[in-house]
Amino acid sequence: MSPASTRSLSSRQRSIIGTAALFLIPAFVVLGVYMFYSIFDSFRLSLVDWNGVSPDKTFVGLANWQELIGDARFRLALLNNFKVVIFSILIQLPIGMLLAFFLDTAGKKANVFKVIWFLPLLMSSVAIGFLFKYIYDPAFGLISPLSRMLGGKNIDLLGNPSLALFAVIIVICWQFIPFYMVYFLAGLSSLPVEIYEAAIIDGATRARYFTAIALPMLKNTFINAVILSMVGSLKYFDLIYVMTEGGPSGSTELMATYMFKNAFTTMRMGYGSTVASAMFLIITFTSLITMNIMRRGGDK
Amino acid sequence: MSRKVMSKIALLVIIAMLTAILGACGGDTGGTTTTAAPGETTTKAPDGSETTDAGNGEKVTLSFWHIQTQEKQAKLIQDSIDRFVADNPNYEVEVEPMQNDAFKTKLTVALGSNTQPDIFPHWSGGPMIEYAEAGKIADLTEYMNKDGYVDMFMPAGISQATYQDKIWAMPVENLAVAMFFYNKQVFADNGIEIPETLADLEAAAEKLKAAGIAPFSLANKTKWTGSMYYMYLVDRIGGADVFANAATRQNDGTFEAEAFTKAGEKIQEWVNKGYFNEGFNGLDEDSGQSRALLYSGQAAMTLMGSWIVSTITSENPDFLDNLGVFPFPAVEGGKGDPSGTVGTVGDNFYSISSECADIEGAFTALTYLLDEQAIKDRVADGKIPPINGVQLENPMMQTVLDLATKAKTNQLWYDQYLVPEMGDLHKDTSQELFGLTKTPEEVNAIMEAKAAELAG
Repeated sequence: MSPASTRSLSSRQRSIIGTAALFLIPAFVVLGVYMFYSIFDSFRLSLVDWNGVSPDKTFVGLANWQELIGDARFRLALLNNFKVVIFSILIQLPIGMLLAFFLDTAGKKANVFKVIWFLPLLMSSVAIGFLFKYIYDPAFGLISPLSRMLGGKNIDLLGNPSLALFAVIIVICWQFIPFYMVYFLAGLSSLPVEIYEAAIIDGATRARYFTAIALPMLKNTFINAVILSMVGSLKYFDLIYVMTEGGPSGSTELMATYMFKNAFTTMRMGYGSTVASAMFLIITFTSLITMNIMRRGGDK
Repeated sequence: MSRKVMSKIALLVIIAMLTAILGACGGDTGGTTTTAAPGETTTKAPDGSETTDAGNGEKVTLSFWHIQTQEKQAKLIQDSIDRFVADNPNYEVEVEPMQNDAFKTKLTVALGSNTQPDIFPHWSGGPMIEYAEAGKIADLTEYMNKDGYVDMFMPAGISQATYQDKIWAMPVENLAVAMFFYNKQVFADNGIEIPETLADLEAAAEKLKAAGIAPFSLANKTKWTGSMYYMYLVDRIGGADVFANAATRQNDGTFEAEAFTKAGEKIQEWVNKGYFNEGFNGLDEDSGQSRALLYSGQAAMTLMGSWIVSTITSENPDFLDNLGVFPFPAVEGGKGDPSGTVGTVGDNFYSISSECADIEGAFTALTYLLDEQAIKDRVADGKIPPINGVQLENPMMQTVLDLATKAKTNQLWYDQYLVPEMGDLHKDTSQELFGLTKTPEEVNAIMEAKAAELAG
């Protein structure tokens, strides 16, 4: 819309706004029912003691929240979540960026790579989980024979509490690198060709164009990618659930798996909702803070 | 400036949308969970016959969830229901098969919002008691006792479906008890006889280990798999009452009883000696990672529910000839009866919702799940319906049935017997026992503390 909106709106503009509002109603109804109401309801349920089945919900005030604050398992899950966030950002974004840059400079010749590298993102998480469960199998998988060939022993990744989380993080990265690759590729191809040509004429190498021109221009894209990756990692669920169910010994427990366990396995819907609500708060605030810090850096 | 604000708002909305899934999980989002697909499930009763029926003319629609998603078993249930509808044309039954895990979630949500189907399965034990206490399932005692229908069932199955002297469910699908299943070839090659006592078993394990074969194959990401070793050891060492007393808080029962400690110590001793395959805590029973070891001869035996026979029948039929079975051996000096089994006599009990408009009709529908044809079909598919006098063609299943019938006691799986919160804690702690991350004493203390807390 026009940036100088101080003038009074013409009748045409007013009718456009009216129509737009009309068309937005369905979207808002859907959002309202499936999002705002659900979020509100989670908070409401976090104040009750309820097994998810019985008609009686006992109001317990903040007892669930008190329990959550003292819950070592939840703290462990939170810590694991932050590990996933950090490693996801450190591994996925740089590799995604490099692949994107390669595809961008290589042009049409590299189209075959574009397709191949995009494949992991098209597979369902459950299928990927099963695939890597077999790959990691210490007797029949791919890792152990490799290790034996090099004279080592069988390697147990998912059953070892100190390695299991990293084993899963690697799979998560494998799955999501293509997403950031495409994301950055879109960003790179939106940069004007003239700038690239000018840089090359001025004697810049491709590497220098990438570090001195393309990267700074993609700063906002990059910030959004960081936030996307962060939110995704904080609410991560599927692969963990398929591959380890939070085990062994809670070493891969994440907030989302812990929430699921409470709400549906141990039938503590009230406490599960508390975990869900806490996740909502944690994710929202972490994202806001990160966004602020990164934007401030960008404002100069 | 305003653009910046706009983009911030846009990002906020994106974040909110990304996190919305939590809300959806936590909330009772009612309506979305109960839609059945009538198209694929309507029965084949001839349409013309409905008016001729002597009933009240109004069609009664029953919704029916089950988790027998394997093709043959799903068809078997659909056939039963088709026969029911053919005989009772004023009924319409919406049958909806679903995956085990999805079912558990869906049922919890449905029960919470009072939109549960008229007929649904469960495993009895703790959850059934919760449903009964919440008034969600109908008391079936009257219907079961009518004309002595109840006498058809194995008593152990009925006792599993009974709570406070009322029958809340019908045991239908399968008798499933845990036994040692072994690779005959591997036993023969290493000169191993079927172990009668725990000492025999350990001697056999030493022999196998020396030959570079893992004595026991275990996939314990799944947790209830390792729990089987624990349950049997507790049963053999301390007798059948130790656990029941601890769980029901009767007769001074406690999870810190000696039998629990000894069972935990035995398991850790076996882990330390390398009796289990490598990396067992990361392997998944549902994807067959333990069976693969058994098939390839890299492991000699596995303690598993008798459903493994039907799994192997469909997964690797060539291996059946090579498969042997023996009961968990006796423990010298233990209080438990060596004939005792651990397992379930019913494994998928069906209950009827107390909200059901026509409980009697729903019960009649249930009886078709165990009519003559259905029993025959179940047996043909390698299952043992929990009723008296079943004749089995498969000799191995007959062995399992004989052992189960002779058993003086049967212990229902802990994780199904206990209330869900305790059951899950048991699974977690038994995995930690196997992972050597907690001592038996620590595990007992955790279980005892939770049990005392829940008992109030």
